[in-house]
Amino acid sequence: MTVGRLFWRTPTGGILWEIWGRHKMNFARHGGALLASLLCVRWMQHGVSEVTGAVLTLIPLSCFLGSYLDLLTCFGCIEMNARTVQIGFPGRLMLKPVSTIQLVLVPMFFGGTAVVSVFFLWNQVILRPLGHDIPLEPLWLGAVLLSFFWWIQAIAWGVPLFPGRTFITLLVAVTHLLVGFCPFMPIGASALWRWLLVGSMLLTAVLFASTGLKWMRRGVWEGPSRLSALWRSSRTRRARLIPRRFGSPFLAQCWLEWRRWGLMLPGLAGGVTFGITPLIFVARKRLAEPSSGFEFERITLTLMLILPLVLASALAMAFGKMDPLQPTGELPIYISIRPMTNGGFVIAKLAMTLATSALTWLVTFAAGGFWLTLLGDGTLLSRASSLTPYGFAAFVVGSIPALCLLILVTWKNLLTGMGVGLTGRTWVSILFLFSRLTVGIGLLALLFEASIDLSLKETLLRWLPWILMICLVFKIALSMAAFRLGLRRKAITGGVVGWIVGGWMVCGLFVAGYAGLVCHALHRLDIWSWIALAGFLALPLTDLAIAPLSLAWNRHR
Amino acid sequence: MSTNAVVAVAGLSRHFGTKAALDEVTVSIPHGSVLGLVGENGAGKTTLIRHLLGMLQAQAGIVRVFGCDPVADPVGVLSRVGYLSERRDLPGWMRVDEFMRYTQAFYPKWDEQYAEQLLEQFQLDPTQKITTQSQGQQAKTGLLAALAYRPELLILDEPSSGLDPVVRRDILEAIIRVVADEGRTVLFSSHLLDEVERVADEVVMLQQGRVALQGRAEDVRGGHISAVLSFAEPQTVAPILAGAHAVVGYGAQWRILFGGSRADLASAAASIGAQVSGEQTPSLDEILVARAGGKGS
Repeated sequence: MTVGRLFWRTPTGGILWEIWGRHKMNFARHGGALLASLLCVRWMQHGVSEVTGAVLTLIPLSCFLGSYLDLLTCFGCIEMNARTVQIGFPGRLMLKPVSTIQLVLVPMFFGGTAVVSVFFLWNQVILRPLGHDIPLEPLWLGAVLLSFFWWIQAIAWGVPLFPGRTFITLLVAVTHLLVGFCPFMPIGASALWRWLLVGSMLLTAVLFASTGLKWMRRGVWEGPSRLSALWRSSRTRRARLIPRRFGSPFLAQCWLEWRRWGLMLPGLAGGVTFGITPLIFVARKRLAEPSSGFEFERITLTLMLILPLVLASALAMAFGKMDPLQPTGELPIYISIRPMTNGGFVIAKLAMTLATSALTWLVTFAAGGFWLTLLGDGTLLSRASSLTPYGFAAFVVGSIPALCLLILVTWKNLLTGMGVGLTGRTWVSILFLFSRLTVGIGLLALLFEASIDLSLKETLLRWLPWILMICLVFKIALSMAAFRLGLRRKAITGGVVGWIVGGWMVCGLFVAGYAGLVCHALHRLDIWSWIALAGFLALPLTDLAIAPLSLAWNRHR
Repeated sequence: MSTNAVVAVAGLSRHFGTKAALDEVTVSIPHGSVLGLVGENGAGKTTLIRHLLGMLQAQAGIVRVFGCDPVADPVGVLSRVGYLSERRDLPGWMRVDEFMRYTQAFYPKWDEQYAEQLLEQFQLDPTQKITTQSQGQQAKTGLLAALAYRPELLILDEPSSGLDPVVRRDILEAIIRVVADEGRTVLFSSHLLDEVERVADEVVMLQQGRVALQGRAEDVRGGHISAVLSFAEPQTVAPILAGAHAVVGYGAQWRILFGGSRADLASAAASIGAQVSGEQTPSLDEILVARAGGKGS
């Protein structure tokens, strides 16, 4: 028997072997990504054009993000139980004849080592030559990263049944972000205090994980214990908080939709804004430009304004699914058998998407505003409030319709393509994406050509109102045909048609009115009719008319 | 098709690719009866049920539930139907009480007292998440949601799956009886044929998408004979007997399952030089196995 074989027979070796065995393909991919990134960096160091340089920069950065996130999952020792769909410590490891502290320390030690050392490797070899390294003391950065990784493990292992786990994870992430960037904060803390703080965070992570896992092993969470009783009573209290009964099937369906999708977009948009903003601040600070404060605020505001719209477009087809956890696009049976028309299901989705769009903007502005207040110098706000001669209050009041417009556009982005998602068929989604891409590229090419060829530009501008009107007439005709078919097949009711058409008209008039206001302020009333027509054209009517039919196609296969 | 029928299916065919899942199926369930749908795996039981619920559209033939097309009028049909899925397709992320409230919203006839009674009877924790329930508890949760609004037609797809024998016998039989006694109609599919024999008024046996047998359980059993054929000389191959669904044995003694009357069996046996003995009425289980397994040993 060789020494190597003996090593693998120890519990530590066993856990390591499992990580290797399960993820060896991932490690090979990581190696490939690192190599590809290295080649890109070397290429750029030899001198490339500005455009090529920008494209080449994106490759290593994407490789780094992808590989690093994957690495966290490889070494996290966190798995989903297939039956209970609970994410936590692998159940099979808990049955091993090994002490709990060993079960905790081995994955934490090896995972932590891997996560920190791989980060430094990427930072040294790829990010630094690209000029994207984080300007923090390496030891400090490593310690914060380690603490963050350990806390993620501790929460996943220690409290797998706790419903507020997502919130705790979020809190931990925010805390680590704040602690990590505290050298840049206006409120300075001495190095000793900072290190004491991180040291205590590391220690508590281990204690939290080992205690939680010990309780888990003993069945304290679910067994007949005081903790279990406390847990049960809190569940009962929470159960009383939800309404005794829903007023209508529509409200019940809205509630279901909200529980499945409601917080997805606000969470993503708010989370990304919250996570990226300090990085922008650091990047701007490093350049040490005189106007770095304004630059930081400008970029943050742009990110805040663009991100929810882009995310809404990206998630639109996924929102067509009734349940994100459903492995196929097929309608879940527990929804399919409910006595509700397909139009009713669609209206519930509309209500949910409107609410989620509004919340997304609130969360995004709160997340961005938090960092702007903490790190910015208020240049942007003082400039913005001078836009009106009536001061800051008038600026805030004037922003309300703009916020409504942003909510409306987010809502529209979420709804476009929802009909495709509701079909539950992958090939339809692929076809839709392909057609969108084709049309998009065609329009871009036309615009590019028009920017070069002035006569084409003039012709296009002359014909633009007619083109928009023809498209609008076609859209209305198509929608009417879809509504008619839906009514004939009982997929939709007259009331639902009324809501959809009425909503479209109101939203269209709002866009036209707001466009009129802005055009008047800018003295460009000549383009108002174009914007108003484009608004009516862009707002979803055909998508909503088709959506009940798509759902019927999915529901009655 | 009977005008009294709650469910009326005529000439229903359904293909998945080249495979025929249902082929010219005609079934009728009269008001107030309990119909057991039996058949081997892949016989088409679930496909038939999914047609009744409007989840599948008939490629050929007619499907009517309460006289309505479940695809054209899902609200009209589904508001009167209770369904327990074979896959126990429940929202795992909901708690039991949340699921009850969600379901309740769709059915004005939801009986809160009855729901509470069932909750107690099934010993379910209303604050427990469905995903953390055992298979049996999930079946009970699904059953509760299907029963609490006292549907006129109860469709149970493999209700016994995941339930332990005690629960299976006590709960299922009691519920099916109660529903049937109140003049409600029950359609249930099952692999456990002793269960079907105990509670079903009528039996429909599907085989490769076709209706192989249909009628009252006792009539179906009475139409078959299990017997032993005795030959003077040992037989090297299984004897071929017209009307026999299964022939098992060796040498001079062969056990057969015969579809027909005793007189038919006697004359068929005489024609191959065998004597009949040990005649018995077979169970539904034996009939299904014989028909599904084909002839010969």
